[in-house]
Amino acid sequence: MKLILVGIASALLLSIIVGLSRVERGPTPADRMLAAQLFGTTGVAILLLLAEAMETPALRDVALVFALLAAMAAVAFVKRAWHPGPGESEKGERP
Amino acid sequence: MTLTSWIFDIVLVGTLVWLAVRVLAEVKLFKSVVLYIAFGLLVALAWVRLAAPDIALAEAAIGAGITGALLLDAAGHMRGRSQPYASASDEPSAGGDMDA
Amino acid sequence: MSVIDVVSVLLLVAGTFFFLAGSTGVLRFPDVYTRLHALTKADNLGLGFFVIGLSLRADSWVVVVKMVLIWALVIVAGATAGHLVAEAARTSGVVPWRKPR
Repeated sequence: MKLILVGIASALLLSIIVGLSRVERGPTPADRMLAAQLFGTTGVAILLLLAEAMETPALRDVALVFALLAAMAAVAFVKRAWHPGPGESEKGERP
Repeated sequence: MTLTSWIFDIVLVGTLVWLAVRVLAEVKLFKSVVLYIAFGLLVALAWVRLAAPDIALAEAAIGAGITGALLLDAAGHMRGRSQPYASASDEPSAGGDMDA
Repeated sequence: MSVIDVVSVLLLVAGTFFFLAGSTGVLRFPDVYTRLHALTKADNLGLGFFVIGLSLRADSWVVVVKMVLIWALVIVAGATAGHLVAEAARTSGVVPWRKPR
């Protein structure tokens, strides 16, 4: 059973690695940030699996922090890093 | 248990090294920050595999969370200013370009 | 393996399918809005299947309640982040993708 749990966790890790290519080539900053959101949620799932497989209940607290972190990064991104000013271009890309 | 754990650990370590190189070598600031956040998440997973959930907690909260938000804020402030790398390399769209 | 184990593994495989589908969608979809759509499916359904599947194997109710709370936090955070990102993309002028004719 533990073997299956760790195997599924490995599949999720591979899905994170595949998703890294969206960070590499996402045309807008929002695309890169969305990929980071997906990593956060996948990390929560991996931690819940490992908490069961490694019999370490403390990992569920780490999963809680991961969920909180993803939300905080998204809000910081929208409020701070990506505010389009009046002089910006209309396409969301620089001229 | 052991073989799949080995596969998980080796894939995790390989990705960590590759990501570290990518974070440092990336010219575009915003992309580098997002890669850094992903790097923090994976480092927390590595601490978990090393049976240190308390350090994983601190790494996730401080390393990826707070530092990631601060770096995002800093990248937002750097936006639109002339970048030393951009002027040095004579490329108008390189270096700190948020949207590229 | 008992019946509970089999059902739990089936639910976990379903959750993995949703995560892989979300990852594929984030990679393949053409613009920010469609990628948001793929992302929230992975958040809500994928993690939901994982929480249900792991709850079947949990020792006590405390563990189940904690995992359900994590799921609820992820759902609320995902909805908020999706709304914020979509609105920021719209106000900054990202044009929604249309099928080329």
